[in-house]
Amino acid sequence: MKKLTFQEVIEKLNKFWSDRGCLIVEPLDTEVGAGTFHPATFFKSFGKDPWRAAYVQPSRRPCDGRYADNPLRLQHYYQYQVIIKPTVPEIRKIYLDSLKFLGVDIKAHEVRFVEDDWESPTLGASGLGWEVWLDSLEITQFTYFQQVAGIELDLVPCEITYGLERICMFIQEKFNLFDLEWHNGVAYGDIHRRQEIEYSKYNFEEADIEIYAKMFEYFEKEANRLADKGLVYPAYSFVLRASHAFNVLDARGAVSQNERPRYIARVRGLAKRCAELYLDNKP
Amino acid sequence: MKDFLLEINVEELPAGYVRPALDKLKNAFIERLKAERMAHGDITVFGTAAVLICRVKDMSLKQEELSREISGPPKRIAFDENNKPTPQAIGFAKNQGSDVKDLKIKQTPKGEYVFVVRKIKSRPAKEVLQDIVPDIIKSISFPKTMKWDDSGARFGRPIESILALLGRENINIKIGNAPARLVKAASVEAYLKKLEKSYILDQDKRKSEIEKMISAAQKKLGLDEYTDENLLEETTFLVKSPVILAGDFDKRFLAVPKDVLAASMSKYQRIFPLFKNGRLVNKFIAIIDGKGRDTGKMKKVYANILEARLKDSLFFYDEDTRKPFSDLTPKLKDLIFHKDLGNMFEKIQRLEELSSFISDRLSVSAVGKEDIKRAAYLCKTDLVTQMVGEFPSLQGVMGMEYSLKSKEKESVAIAIKEHYLPKGMDGHLPETTEGAILAISDRIDNIVGLLGSGIEPKGSFDPFGIRRNSQGLIQIIKHKGFRIDLSGLIHEAIRLYNTQEQCRGRPRPPTAISQEELEKKVVNYIKERLEFLTPDTMPSELKQAVLKSDCNDIVGVFKRVKALSGISSEKYFLRTAKVCERTSNILKGAKGEKLGAVNEALLKEALEKDVWKAYTANSRAIENLIKEEKYEEATRVYGDVFFEALHKFFDKVFVNAEDSSLRENRLAMMQAINKLYTLDVADLALLPQIIIR
Repeated sequence: MKKLTFQEVIEKLNKFWSDRGCLIVEPLDTEVGAGTFHPATFFKSFGKDPWRAAYVQPSRRPCDGRYADNPLRLQHYYQYQVIIKPTVPEIRKIYLDSLKFLGVDIKAHEVRFVEDDWESPTLGASGLGWEVWLDSLEITQFTYFQQVAGIELDLVPCEITYGLERICMFIQEKFNLFDLEWHNGVAYGDIHRRQEIEYSKYNFEEADIEIYAKMFEYFEKEANRLADKGLVYPAYSFVLRASHAFNVLDARGAVSQNERPRYIARVRGLAKRCAELYLDNKP
Repeated sequence: MKDFLLEINVEELPAGYVRPALDKLKNAFIERLKAERMAHGDITVFGTAAVLICRVKDMSLKQEELSREISGPPKRIAFDENNKPTPQAIGFAKNQGSDVKDLKIKQTPKGEYVFVVRKIKSRPAKEVLQDIVPDIIKSISFPKTMKWDDSGARFGRPIESILALLGRENINIKIGNAPARLVKAASVEAYLKKLEKSYILDQDKRKSEIEKMISAAQKKLGLDEYTDENLLEETTFLVKSPVILAGDFDKRFLAVPKDVLAASMSKYQRIFPLFKNGRLVNKFIAIIDGKGRDTGKMKKVYANILEARLKDSLFFYDEDTRKPFSDLTPKLKDLIFHKDLGNMFEKIQRLEELSSFISDRLSVSAVGKEDIKRAAYLCKTDLVTQMVGEFPSLQGVMGMEYSLKSKEKESVAIAIKEHYLPKGMDGHLPETTEGAILAISDRIDNIVGLLGSGIEPKGSFDPFGIRRNSQGLIQIIKHKGFRIDLSGLIHEAIRLYNTQEQCRGRPRPPTAISQEELEKKVVNYIKERLEFLTPDTMPSELKQAVLKSDCNDIVGVFKRVKALSGISSEKYFLRTAKVCERTSNILKGAKGEKLGAVNEALLKEALEKDVWKAYTANSRAIENLIKEEKYEEATRVYGDVFFEALHKFFDKVFVNAEDSSLRENRLAMMQAINKLYTLDVADLALLPQIIIR
């Protein structure tokens, strides 16, 4: 079987999950740290209506930049997120089927479910599940949500977050993600190397601390103002912006150990406010 | 009789949950089967992360018979003069579901009463199991549980299915929505044999197989035979059919400090680091699950992932060592120690002073003292490095590595690492004087600060480790044989907090307690741990007796405990104990009276003069023996001097005389004799009543 390109992996996952009743929604256009922040997961985890969706989410982790020098770490990468609410008993089998569908030989390689009590302190979200390892490489985060925004959920959603680059590395047998083939002979590095170097420099050395500290305040203020008006989605978009501003400050080394929990609590408080508003005003 | 088997199939539990869950499963079966009067043979449990199995051998097929007598009204009420049952008797019989004819009369201590004998139905095993097994499964507790469907069931991870076999019969067990797994097997044994063919069922056998594989590989590679026990235990539950895979990684990563390498491998990739003559080598062992894997390819993947991780560690290492290590120390101002106790920079400032104070008390050389002070300044700096941010367990170790890299003195670097010791109950202790003094300073600072701000352990809940700190403190002082005055040390630690509070205007927390109260509390915690740390073979009363005396010198406490337990059955020891007991008893009556020095002019009786003579003639010698720590000898002399004299004295002289000046003088004499021994050796009056033949 021909080895899939990065682009084909996404296509195949879309096909696979679409066939299993998922809506294929598009990425969120705001900077976020993970697919969980997308409203299609954050808001849709609540309530008793079934929900199934899948999407690619470009994710930013300013602290993880390595100036394109590490074969496994990036400050910008792609998650493939699946959310199934409520979860179904055979979900893990379906997940393993998806790996087979991508051409991963799970008989020759070892798939291991390693405990991971997942938590997103900024979203007040937590769940129990695993990191899925393929020969000791973490390729997926698999979580049964228990809480979002500190609110106990009515139905337990299952969140499956594939690390697209990681899986591709496996499929293409290349242990540097910059060498992955995106498609038609174009490498991942051709598209992303320069960005990685420049953003690493930006996040670690150039981002203006004063401006970011102020932006955090403005975003927080704006989120609250919009929440006061009952504009949930716009308010939430400013929560995400505040969260990203905090991440940049963190990467710049501008957040002391002391301040860190306070920043996180502020973002969590905003997220909770949006979630409660969403639940109150549900049409 | 038939064998019974329960198999809980579950989505992978955390490996660390499995062994405790199996223990609970077994105990719950023992308990519930007993309560249900179900006879059975051996109970065995097997498990992996994905399955918990319990086998009960030779279970009886029904409950043991049981009948119970239920007492009713007295006979005189239940039957009239014609011996006919009254409405009361009829009502009682009806309530108990039996017929009036079946009522029995029995003689009891209260007279004749009516009884019914109720046979308790003996239920079949299948019915009992369907009742109790769901409860047993629910009784397995986990550190964290979850829900996964709308049934409300909770478990460590979702339950996939449940299999229950009684002999060859499948029994349906209901837990939430989990389906029953049905199998066709001739017997429980036959079913287990089939499982055994696909993997190693028994966890202990699996563990020893893995250990054998690893040590065989180590032998073959000419490496040290060493297996990380924690990782071995975890691996035992992560894999069912272990297969070994040995690989290597690029030598250049050996530049990463050894502890970082080891943590990267064992904690983050669950692979075993390897050593040759105690030095880490660029090889590893992985235990994977199941035969038929492409181990050649897997080896490469494992190595690649490890190298990518190590590359990250090198990145942290380079970032952290860009500047001299001590340049990072002021960043501790941003790191909070405890919300009421200021930041970590303030803490190291106290440690600098406290360790100098101890150095002076122990007459450490000027150079040594400087080194300790430097180590105190640097000892928490690694907390603000990226490496410790990523690998918190490496605190101390990285402090040492980075200090050496920044050309700090070796003794300073070692002291930084050692000041975190001991880590566990039986962990290593600091070996160098510098490390030990710093470790003592850190612990006393923790204890005083936390207790002072009103934090105390509650039951087994001791989140800030006050007991652990007290225990470590004692272990270090004992190990190093430091003769240091504990109350002086506590006093100084409190003074340093107070000075800082005043200088910085840091408010005292509302929960703070007064200085005397605090000193008492600190001493109490340390005493409590002292008792705990003395050997179990010693009678606890003897420990209490020693601890009632002066405890400021911890090394001395251990010496006294050892000396006295060696002679506790000697006659002279018992005589000494008797003297302590008699003087202490008589003094109990003197509470509130002011006892001063003994006035010789007031000694009237010949017998009391004899006692006093014995005291004045021998007290200096006894004091000297105690000072020289010759406790056996001191005990012998004390007993010899006072036992007979006091015996006669108490026989003939009435201590509590009418004349208060006489009484007070006699009591003062008793007190002098009592304190001569009990103040600095042990208050043997605390021993159980002493009988001397």
